[in-house]
Amino acid sequence: MSQNAPQQPPSAAGTPVRVSSSHPAPDPSTAGPAGRAGGYRGRVLVGLALALGVSLFLAHGLLARANQERAAEREQRTAAVSLLGLADLVQRAGGTGDAVRAVVAGWPGMPGSAVRVIAFSGIRLEASAFPQDTGEKAAPRKLSRDEKPLYDRGQRLRAAVETNREEGGARKPEVESELLDAGASRLLSAPVEVDGQVVGSVESLTPAVVNAEAPSWTPVLLAFLLPLAACAAAVFVLSRQGVRVAVAAALFLAGLGGYTVYSLRALDAELRETENAVSAELRTRGEKAQALITANTLKADPALKPGAWDADMMRRPLGRLTDSGAPDADKLAAAGAQVRGNATKALGALGVVGLAVLLFIGLGGLHQVVRTMVEYRQAYAYITPAMVGMVVLVFFPFAYGITLSFTDANLYNSSQPLSELWVGFRNYVDILGDFSFAKTAADGSLVFNYLNFYYTLLFTIVWTVTNVTIGVTVGLLLALALNVPNLRMRPVYRVLLILPWAMPNYITALIWKGMFHQQFGVVNHVIRMFGGEGLAWFDSPFTSFFTALATNGWLSFPFMMVVSLGALQSIPGELYEAARVDGANRWQQFTAITLPALKPALVPAVILSVVWTFNMFNIIFLVTGGDPGGSTEILVTQAYKFAFERYRHGYAAAYSTVIFGILLLYSMVQNRMSRATEAA
Amino acid sequence: MTHLRTLLAALCLCAVGLLPVPSFAATELVLWHAYRAEEKAALEKVVAEYNKANEGKVKVTTLAVPYDAYADKISATVPRGKGPDLFIFAQDRLGGWIEAGNTVEPIDFFLDDATKKRFIPTTMEAMTYRGTTYGLPLNYKVITLIYNKKLVPTPPKTSGEMVTMAKKLTDAKAGRFGLAYAYNDFYYHAAVMNGFGGGVFDAKGAPTMNSPANVKSVEQVLKWKNKDGILPAEPSSALITSLFNEGKAAMVFSGPWFLGEVSKNVEYGLATLPTLDENKGTPMKPWMTVEGVYVAAPSKNKEAAYDFAKFLTDAGPGKTLALEGRQSPSNTAVYQDAKVAADPLLKAMKAQVDVAVPMPNLPEMSMVWTPATSAMNTVFKNTATPKAALDAAQKSVAKDVAGLRKK
Repeated sequence: MSQNAPQQPPSAAGTPVRVSSSHPAPDPSTAGPAGRAGGYRGRVLVGLALALGVSLFLAHGLLARANQERAAEREQRTAAVSLLGLADLVQRAGGTGDAVRAVVAGWPGMPGSAVRVIAFSGIRLEASAFPQDTGEKAAPRKLSRDEKPLYDRGQRLRAAVETNREEGGARKPEVESELLDAGASRLLSAPVEVDGQVVGSVESLTPAVVNAEAPSWTPVLLAFLLPLAACAAAVFVLSRQGVRVAVAAALFLAGLGGYTVYSLRALDAELRETENAVSAELRTRGEKAQALITANTLKADPALKPGAWDADMMRRPLGRLTDSGAPDADKLAAAGAQVRGNATKALGALGVVGLAVLLFIGLGGLHQVVRTMVEYRQAYAYITPAMVGMVVLVFFPFAYGITLSFTDANLYNSSQPLSELWVGFRNYVDILGDFSFAKTAADGSLVFNYLNFYYTLLFTIVWTVTNVTIGVTVGLLLALALNVPNLRMRPVYRVLLILPWAMPNYITALIWKGMFHQQFGVVNHVIRMFGGEGLAWFDSPFTSFFTALATNGWLSFPFMMVVSLGALQSIPGELYEAARVDGANRWQQFTAITLPALKPALVPAVILSVVWTFNMFNIIFLVTGGDPGGSTEILVTQAYKFAFERYRHGYAAAYSTVIFGILLLYSMVQNRMSRATEAA
Repeated sequence: MTHLRTLLAALCLCAVGLLPVPSFAATELVLWHAYRAEEKAALEKVVAEYNKANEGKVKVTTLAVPYDAYADKISATVPRGKGPDLFIFAQDRLGGWIEAGNTVEPIDFFLDDATKKRFIPTTMEAMTYRGTTYGLPLNYKVITLIYNKKLVPTPPKTSGEMVTMAKKLTDAKAGRFGLAYAYNDFYYHAAVMNGFGGGVFDAKGAPTMNSPANVKSVEQVLKWKNKDGILPAEPSSALITSLFNEGKAAMVFSGPWFLGEVSKNVEYGLATLPTLDENKGTPMKPWMTVEGVYVAAPSKNKEAAYDFAKFLTDAGPGKTLALEGRQSPSNTAVYQDAKVAADPLLKAMKAQVDVAVPMPNLPEMSMVWTPATSAMNTVFKNTATPKAALDAAQKSVAKDVAGLRKK
């Protein structure tokens, strides 16, 4: 390897530098495999070690996390069984009174756990087995001011139960879980319902699982060393690089596959253990509850159903255990299959990534990359800050936006992780598949559906085309006027005409909006001066569109004027002289000399201006605001309204992605067309 | 030697100065609001009184935030713990903030029955979301009947009287109208809609844009405009103001914000909106907006903040806000004061608010405006029947609500 000395970086002046050694550095990618065979063995081994090492390490981490999750689930489910069982008894006891206290006192707890009951009526602590609630603070008593969170939590649960019931869905959690004392204990709260009304809440504090037993490292080592040893042997036996890489890939898959089988077994065992633990808890709690019902003569009707206590956070029974605590085989198998499916998927993804790493290194890709990086290290050092900036400021938000567009994120579920809100292409189907663009009214006139995507797209295109046309025409005319030779006070005119551009465009927009005010606006004032009647500009789509058009026209001509003026001044005067000698008239000069000379400057300006106008949020938002009824909305303002007026963030993200797609398509077509014109 | 000693002493003094001063300082509360002019002055006066009474214990400072950016500023700063301890805002954004979380603190825990009872019940209802109270109502705004005393000696009590009176005063060719109000604006239309027993959401929060009562209410206004001809076409707020100021509109339905634009030459009176003969004499029930004082959820001094909110909504400060700030407090005791009772504006507001209903504080409300406005526009441009227009609005709102509540 030492022979492959990296080439010197090119000198600053850009002149080719002679390589200091007398022989040109051999390029390994072009050197024959026979000559460099020894050096390539290392690549295969390093590739396999790296790919296998990283993927096994990650797989081990995943298994450890899955174990931790299982343990947390086990702990939470047993705690929930206990809590919901207690809630059931408290409900039977009517939510308040001595019977509730008897139930709480009689409800068995493990060491370090405690339960309490809060009643909304009178803001009271109805019963409590917490160690601090003794003596003067013994229940029943009014909650003290520092116990406000207890009461608020109960009220939140009540609101959640009512919301879910009204909407006929399960949107809000009806059981709240919180880790206290830096994760050492878990606080669970559930509502108490009496006669269909939430009248209080029960809470339990149980010790939480801090650390689940970490899976052992031995299988990882085995799955790592065995394939590596086998590969080392194979590399020396085989001579063709391709075959070596193929063998390494097969060994990689075997190693990772072996570990997958091991971890799936471990997961299965964990799952069974969870089920057994919850089942045992359910059985003891169920028996105890039955005993408490008889002892305190609580309502025995309806019959006790301990199976329903094993529920999710929406208090929907999981149905994995029957009332007697026996596991329901089908449900259990389904749950197991789901866990296994997720694990297989995660490990499969790891396998693909690992395989890619292996092939990349084994086939020399890494070598190539490192070589160029070293060779142009100065260049890479210079662009690193910009690259980091781009990743943080552009690529990350962009990727996040695209991800968001595949979800159903909205105001109500913004706290949930995106993976739970995944809806695939539904947003896109909703946007692009809705063709209710317009319909004919009873009197035969066409009524547009202003909220439809295609209407807004059509409007945006009309808006863009008219604006750019006006901008180019006015700008070009003014530039021609300013380009008259020996024009006096030209700098003054130029400054005056550039002024609209120099002003912040939202100030311009607000001024124009004021000018179109129906009563006090200067436009209607002028119309009235000439005996007309003022218009309600923002009440019909066409006049409303006109106001925005006027504003944006005003804002866009200076740019076009500056661009054309620059290009005009670079046209040599001799051309016109020669044309005059040849007898060409003014119009012929304009079409044959001026316009072609302007094209290289104007085409990029038009391309830019199309993109700007297409996304001209400020003007539409501030001048028309989409009035009337969303008819003058362009795509970006519509996306904004979906996000911040209808609170549908996922849908708005999809909308924005569609806008991005349209602009991408436009620039691709534009690129091809302008390349064609340049070639001509 | 003496130099050294002085130097040492000076150093020690400096060190003492650097030590953190034990907090004898008063609890600092920050209150945000968007008031201007006399409303701001009245609020600041009340706050100064509170600070004087609690000197050394609590110090409240106020910050006036420009209204345009106010709601966004609260959404952005409060959940991140960078906002005030208390803020004043209308109830229309309440639901959104509660659903977003960590913005508004529930106050049921602090709220005793005596405090609850001192407010107009409907204003308290506006502060309640899903059965939990989130703020104390400070004041309210509501639409009333504003009439030109020269043209209308006694204001009409019923819609029948109003129409007869308005017909006499209407001369469409000369641009004179008996009645003018922004009937195509859904906010104004709500008075008639609620009067007919309609509404935009049912008790369960499902949209009811096309309920029979809503359709009937739109048909009623359509009759006033087309058949009775007492209403001007395309009633923008500017048109209504100019008609009223020129004495060409005898009666207007509008709120206290309208009075600032009325010219000094017009002598106006305020009265309760008429009852609806067409619906067995039920009163028109405009939507009221209630400005509440909310305790910010991340505040460190919630108790002190609540105590201040309680003070601010008490009768004494309410009187100052009413008489000097020209606002209508939600505290009923304020209206027993002789000066307040004699004030025609405050009296009319109080009479009207007793039949008004709070504008829904559900976050879904923001999805109603656009479809509702376009429905009203299509109806009054005679391009669709009220039923068809409201059906379309219902479809659009239901779709948006379903889009939000999926899962």
